[in-house]
Amino acid sequence: MTSPATVDEEAVLAEIGGALRAVLDDLEFEDAPITRETRFVEDLDLESIDLVTLTSELRERYGDRVDFPAWFASLELSEIIGLTVGQLADYIVGRLR
Amino acid sequence: MTRLDAGGLRFNVERLGDGTGGRETVVLVHGIATDNLTSYYFTVAPEFAAAGYDVVMYDQRGHGRTTRPPHGYGIEDFSGDLALLLDELGVTGPVHLVGNSFGGTVALDYALHHPGRVASVLMVESEPPTDAWAQKMSGLLAGSAYQLHDERTLPWIEETYGRHEARLVRWSMRLLHGTSIAEDIAASRIPDEAAWSALDVPVLAVYGANSDLAEMADWLRGLLPRCRTHTVHGHGHSVLVGTPETVGPLLLDWVREGHKELLGARVPTP
Repeated sequence: MTSPATVDEEAVLAEIGGALRAVLDDLEFEDAPITRETRFVEDLDLESIDLVTLTSELRERYGDRVDFPAWFASLELSEIIGLTVGQLADYIVGRLR
Repeated sequence: MTRLDAGGLRFNVERLGDGTGGRETVVLVHGIATDNLTSYYFTVAPEFAAAGYDVVMYDQRGHGRTTRPPHGYGIEDFSGDLALLLDELGVTGPVHLVGNSFGGTVALDYALHHPGRVASVLMVESEPPTDAWAQKMSGLLAGSAYQLHDERTLPWIEETYGRHEARLVRWSMRLLHGTSIAEDIAASRIPDEAAWSALDVPVLAVYGANSDLAEMADWLRGLLPRCRTHTVHGHGHSVLVGTPETVGPLLLDWVREGHKELLGARVPTP
């Protein structure tokens, strides 16, 4: 597996979008525009279990430098449920720097 | 993420740890209907991984992103799944089983039927599979299914318990209305009560003091030969998700004991 040499937030957002499509391939996922403010649960109608699958998919792309389980464990459940695309991107970018 | 085919079903499995083998394995088994592996993934699972254990979590049949067959929800089906999954994952050594609510019932049933494959069982707010348990659980599931046919129920749940709980309940309707789970639980293969006296596995049962299950602690210590109990004050049935900062260290301390022998083992004090 290769990792991006430089960290670019736009690229991370694109990766999140790609992972979303991979995860929701078998679900009714409309190709809605994804912004930093998009909430996974409220706006995209993901179940919390899908956040696990989504971040596992992203870990495949970014490797050990991201530790989503540890990050989730540091958040309150309400924060996980309210998670936005931008928050996830910020975490990834922060870890890759 | 792993999609694992076993017994004709496709299981959603998550593993934490380095996965190189040679380490002790902790298997986390979630509860029924509104539950799935996130109850561990979002709470205590990373602590086990950080402490050096291989961690296995999976969505049980009919739950989360695992296949939801129309029938086949007896306790023996759930504990049979656990056996198949561990075989498929190549986990051959004795494992530490942690079960939340119904997951503890599955863990205990598995331990009874697979001697030598379980190092310890930690149940959080769980009962062993007995006739009384099967009838009660079946009644609860059937009652929930009936109530959820009333379109006023979900809005009431959202208003009372919040949007997240309402989403979980809405999800569970596929299981409660689309399968024979209530009937199947009632018809479960229940072990003879005498069989429990031969369970040579250390068990720690954790209860929330405000839960109506807490009062079974004395009875359970009499039923299981190597059982201790622990009560968490200020919490009810949802003690795992409600206070992971309390239950996490409790779980970790229990597993760290290793359970080579029971005597002299340490029990966390309240």
